[in-house]
Amino acid sequence: MERRQKNQQQQNPRRNPLSSSSSSSSSHSSNRKSRYRPPNRASGDARARHREDSGLDSGDATTWDEPRSLARSIDERASAAGTRSSMGIREQQEQHQHHQDGENARDSREFASAVGTCPYMCPVGEMAQRERLRDLAVFERLHGNPAKTSPELAVKKFCRTISTRHVQLSDIRPLSVLGSTLDYLMNLMNSTPEPFETVHDFIFDRTRSIRQDLSMQDILDKRAIHMYEKMVNFHVISHHKLRLSSSGPNSFNISSLHHLNMEQLAKVLTSLYNLYDLNRDHNSMHKNEPEYRSLYVLLCLNSESLPEGERLSLWFRRVPTPVIKSKEMTFARRILRYFRTDNYKCFFSTIAAEASYLQYCALEPYIDKVRALAVLLINNGGYKLHPYPIAHLSNLLMMERWSHSASHVALRPPWTSREIRFYPPNSRPSIIQRQDMGSMAFQVSKIFAGLSKLLARQIQKRGIFYDHLISSAFR
Amino acid sequence: MAYLSMGEAHRRITDYLGRFSDAVSSQDVASLKHLLSLSSNSPSLLSLADALNLFQDANRLIKQSDKYSQFAEIVVPLFRCLQNYKLNNLVDAYHAYEKAANAFIQEFRNWDSAWALEALYVIAYEIRVLAERADRELSANGKSPEKLKAAGSYLMKVFGVLAGKGPKRVGALYVTCQLFKIYFKLGTVHLCRSVIRSIETARIFDFEEFPQRDKVTYMYYTGRLEVYNENFTAADQKLSYALAHCNPRSEENIRMILKYLIPVKLSIGILPQDWLLEKYNLVEYRNIVQALKRGDLQLLRSALEEHEDRFLRSGVYLVLEKLELQVYQRLLKKIYIIQKQKDPSKAHQMKLEVIIKALKWLEIDMDLDEVECIVAILIHKNLVKGYFAHKSKVVVLSKQDPFPKLTGKPVNA
Repeated sequence: MERRQKNQQQQNPRRNPLSSSSSSSSSHSSNRKSRYRPPNRASGDARARHREDSGLDSGDATTWDEPRSLARSIDERASAAGTRSSMGIREQQEQHQHHQDGENARDSREFASAVGTCPYMCPVGEMAQRERLRDLAVFERLHGNPAKTSPELAVKKFCRTISTRHVQLSDIRPLSVLGSTLDYLMNLMNSTPEPFETVHDFIFDRTRSIRQDLSMQDILDKRAIHMYEKMVNFHVISHHKLRLSSSGPNSFNISSLHHLNMEQLAKVLTSLYNLYDLNRDHNSMHKNEPEYRSLYVLLCLNSESLPEGERLSLWFRRVPTPVIKSKEMTFARRILRYFRTDNYKCFFSTIAAEASYLQYCALEPYIDKVRALAVLLINNGGYKLHPYPIAHLSNLLMMERWSHSASHVALRPPWTSREIRFYPPNSRPSIIQRQDMGSMAFQVSKIFAGLSKLLARQIQKRGIFYDHLISSAFR
Repeated sequence: MAYLSMGEAHRRITDYLGRFSDAVSSQDVASLKHLLSLSSNSPSLLSLADALNLFQDANRLIKQSDKYSQFAEIVVPLFRCLQNYKLNNLVDAYHAYEKAANAFIQEFRNWDSAWALEALYVIAYEIRVLAERADRELSANGKSPEKLKAAGSYLMKVFGVLAGKGPKRVGALYVTCQLFKIYFKLGTVHLCRSVIRSIETARIFDFEEFPQRDKVTYMYYTGRLEVYNENFTAADQKLSYALAHCNPRSEENIRMILKYLIPVKLSIGILPQDWLLEKYNLVEYRNIVQALKRGDLQLLRSALEEHEDRFLRSGVYLVLEKLELQVYQRLLKKIYIIQKQKDPSKAHQMKLEVIIKALKWLEIDMDLDEVECIVAILIHKNLVKGYFAHKSKVVVLSKQDPFPKLTGKPVNA
């Protein structure tokens, strides 16, 4: 039927936005009155002005270029033959088909400075169509009716194959609507009883659509930064929460969700960094920039997690000096150092003392690895005849003292209630192991999986949870 | 400025055209390459540019004669480039040069032998250098710098032309090195991977056939990549090769190689002598070497802090940070030696308290847990042989060789 009005005339996609001024006066279709303003060289380019960072070698790269496995979104944009539009933070729509990329670059030029007019979280046409097709997410259903929605519930979906020929300005949400849509989604994250995977899926998709609308309108200023930061928050918290639910029958789906989330998180982070760079004047930095930059370091502690990506050594080269010296970045670099030198003691004590919630969520996958490593190290180097006290270990590793009845521990009751010996499967068995009837090898990771919950909850409360753990360990 | 007459301008232009066509027809690459080398700022090219700017109708001259018009595709944009270059319009100069270069490569393909390879080298070099300058101009005007990336694409094309069975293939390494320089400058280092794969695995290439100079440059860049990926054994091999085969008189190049080789060597336990650091002006490593020799953790930390910017910029900071473990090893060894002198029978037992005290003298505060942790790490990485007893807060060292040397292998995981 109707749905989107096919553009009778509309913008000729081949038209060069820089030269034309006729689009705004086209009187073809009534509801597609585009307020097309030719890019203003003076203001726009001032933003895009290349900033000489005195800390960098003049011979070195000064434009931000992100690693390949991470946002492949910005690469094409940043280098697209074009001028101001090439600075746009175009969100990569899909896996990169080259023609798609080319088309996107063209699309963005098409819509430069256009402002959307859709007043609702979801365009009217899309709402009607999805009602008809019964394509409504559980959060969008009015009274649970899968064929009915309302402007307060429906949120615009992400559309991969978008092209300027078919898009009207009434389908694009202006900045204010995007802002309130994002707030609505963020509230949803915390307030719904649905399982987290469902919420995640919904918000994942809908925020992608928000980014799409943002980039089509070329919104690159501090307001965009504010929104991107919120979206990073979502992905980072998902990074953490998805891991928590990664057991049971759904675990396969969840791990692929987790992986996709990580991919998307990387893209959004990179877009955010580009925004920071664009909006930087002199040597200042946006107030949240250090924390959000530090997240990259914490997500990539293990260099193997980025097989195709930029090594941190290379990444640091292009971080501006004030960010490097910031408290959050210093924290991240110290954690990196402790991780790389296997220093479990400082790793945990520093996280406990200084990590913010976001930073903790980013670090979480590594925490269990370091715990397992700590056990390995202690078992490897510790004197076998003196069992290592568990209370002490639990303090060191920020873990709850575990009960003997925990069913996932394949372990018989230890010698005493406070001491236990470890024989991680990969280490050389010691003489005692053979003689001792009271303990068996166990899978270190299984034990720790459930115990991260406590650590996470503690950090969420933002209290000094270490004390709490100490007291619980000696209860 | 001397007055330039139309006649003189005309003469200069036809002179150049003559030399160009003569060079090509007699396969005289030495002459040809001078005619293409913009950045040499040779007086003849600059005076030609003046002539072009005055005469303004060189195209007619070119088309008039058969001898010249066959090279029109190359020379016309080349002239435009010269004009723009002289007027300092570097972006336009780059565009024009790229056009000329494209036309050149078409002709080059048709030439059977590899006689024009050196001219191609000049073009490859010029295109990179021009692109860099063009990008600077773009940035200064608030636009997005993208010419260097375009130069990279052009060079990939050239690489494709050279990667064939004929004698032209020895040129591929030079082009590869230019590509490396571009990718390193742009930060798109991951793009090096495909070129490296071609060079190292394609059967048409025999590494030994390539000219020495190119081999050294190639090993330098691939060595640097290995440093970033922390494959220290491979990095050592490649950078050492580069060092060994580098012209001993080009001190700047040696310095560049050493800048990356030193951290690699340090990571495998080999320390450079002070005269080396002095001679090649690499004094930022001096304190680090000292710290390793003395087991002085504080010195290492302060040296890293002092030169933090420089190390971060060159990308070796993370490598140097890891030297911490070797510094700890040295410190423990010193304590051991002192204990041995006092009481040889008890030397192999080291109280953790003593280590804490030693660290305090170095103005570093560490608690028992952290020291125990460090000891556990050192044991695990085979920097210390022995075990620690938590209850008695003691490290018990092996009676034989408690501090094994690294012997050229990196500290293992």
